[in-house]
Amino acid sequence: MTAIATPPLAASAGIAADLEAVAGRLRRVTVVVGGRGQGAGAGIVWRPDGLVVTNAHVARGAVGVTLADGRRLRATLVGRDPGRDLAALALPVRDLEAAEVDDGTDLRVGQLVVAVGHPFGLAGALSVGVLHRGPTGREDPDGGWLVADLRLAPGNSGGPLADERGRVLGVNAMIHGGLALAVPSAAVQRFLRRAGLVAP
Amino acid sequence: METLLSLSNDLAGAVERAARAVVAVHARPRLASTGVHWGPGVVVTADHTVRTDDDLRVTRPDGRTVPATLAGRDPATDLAVLRVADLAGPPAERGDPARLRVGHVVLAVGHGPRASWGVVSTLGEAWRTWRGGEIDRLIRLDLTLYPGFSGGPLVDARGDVVGLVTSGLARQLELAVPASTVERVVEALLATGRVARGYLGIGLQPVALPEALRPVVPGAGEQGLIVVNVEPAGPAATAGILLGDVLVALDGRAVGDTDAVQGVVAGRPIGSAVTVSLVRAGAPVQLSVAIGERPARKG
Repeated sequence: MTAIATPPLAASAGIAADLEAVAGRLRRVTVVVGGRGQGAGAGIVWRPDGLVVTNAHVARGAVGVTLADGRRLRATLVGRDPGRDLAALALPVRDLEAAEVDDGTDLRVGQLVVAVGHPFGLAGALSVGVLHRGPTGREDPDGGWLVADLRLAPGNSGGPLADERGRVLGVNAMIHGGLALAVPSAAVQRFLRRAGLVAP
Repeated sequence: METLLSLSNDLAGAVERAARAVVAVHARPRLASTGVHWGPGVVVTADHTVRTDDDLRVTRPDGRTVPATLAGRDPATDLAVLRVADLAGPPAERGDPARLRVGHVVLAVGHGPRASWGVVSTLGEAWRTWRGGEIDRLIRLDLTLYPGFSGGPLVDARGDVVGLVTSGLARQLELAVPASTVERVVEALLATGRVARGYLGIGLQPVALPEALRPVVPGAGEQGLIVVNVEPAGPAATAGILLGDVLVALDGRAVGDTDAVQGVVAGRPIGSAVTVSLVRAGAPVQLSVAIGERPARKG
């Protein structure tokens, strides 16, 4: 049997490699919040000094957090806004790799977005989709969602929604009719400022 | 990140390009559907989303809402055409649906604009819808049609419109009507307000065909259709079909339900003949019926 040489599939091999790199980058800054397995949510390392952002519905008080490197730590709840579904946790560590955050001013409908989380208890699973619509809630600066045509499951809550470069655009919070809704990073920054956790 | 970025930019660019010709169609209560600026002053949308003939409006990409009138509709292909005097900007740039391949990344764009991405899942030959409409190519998609997306464009990675997406042609299947079919139907609807569809002028009810009768009539299956109504001077009446006849086959192929009859007859050229095999008082009869044109819907 003769082997037929086929030309390398340059574009798709490139995309696969890029996705792997983005997934790797995001996994390093994503933590597991709460119980292991099905009950867990996700969180994002927002600052190297151990500040982690997640959803209010994922963290209601002091909680166990598992880092990407496997270390399991006890986190204190230092801020919570159920209305915006955000919570901030403090970890007793220094020098963590933190997410690169983007304020999302240049988003385009149809562009690729990725999510990393722990759907159905699978740690660090990757989902890929596109931005479904322009950001909502422009009228209310404290409101608004990023909406993606992207498949999420309950364990994705609190995890990052990011662009093709792995820059975090928001915190995944909800699933609605097949769409993924994330709290935009600008809203996260406002929440952290109000909680006195970042400089104004 | 080169290739991923490049794909992302292509997709975002495709949405931007297609969105210039995407409108919201307000033709039913509550949920607007999507339409495509197909030609000068012409918008095409999904017929099943047009529930009213009056006070139709269309919202342009620039946000302005303008009045529209219904030029014609074809439920068989789930397409409807609106005339809109005040459409700004160029019509959609069209691509060739014959160049689609299974696995090609495609987008559905809804009014907003909103985007849904996916791939071409299945491609097939020309097919007939359950109402007898002829669709040039079977295009099935692995993507989500969100509420209000029906009537919007199927867009390739370049941003060219290769078809119209609709949830109205089949349950549980995301389907697209290829641009070639849309063009054909739009032309017919602009010219005459409807697509001429063949009909027989009879009312039919399914009945189980007794086993004893099946071998008597060539092509008969387990079910036949009993004639419960014959339109005076219609094609069936002219050919001599009588009340009480049981239809079992058309052109030698068994028909057991009214959809099957519609499927054969509605797509035939007006005036062409179809051979009807039927059972009359227990004996087989074959008649040739000249297909007539379905009269325009009233009201």
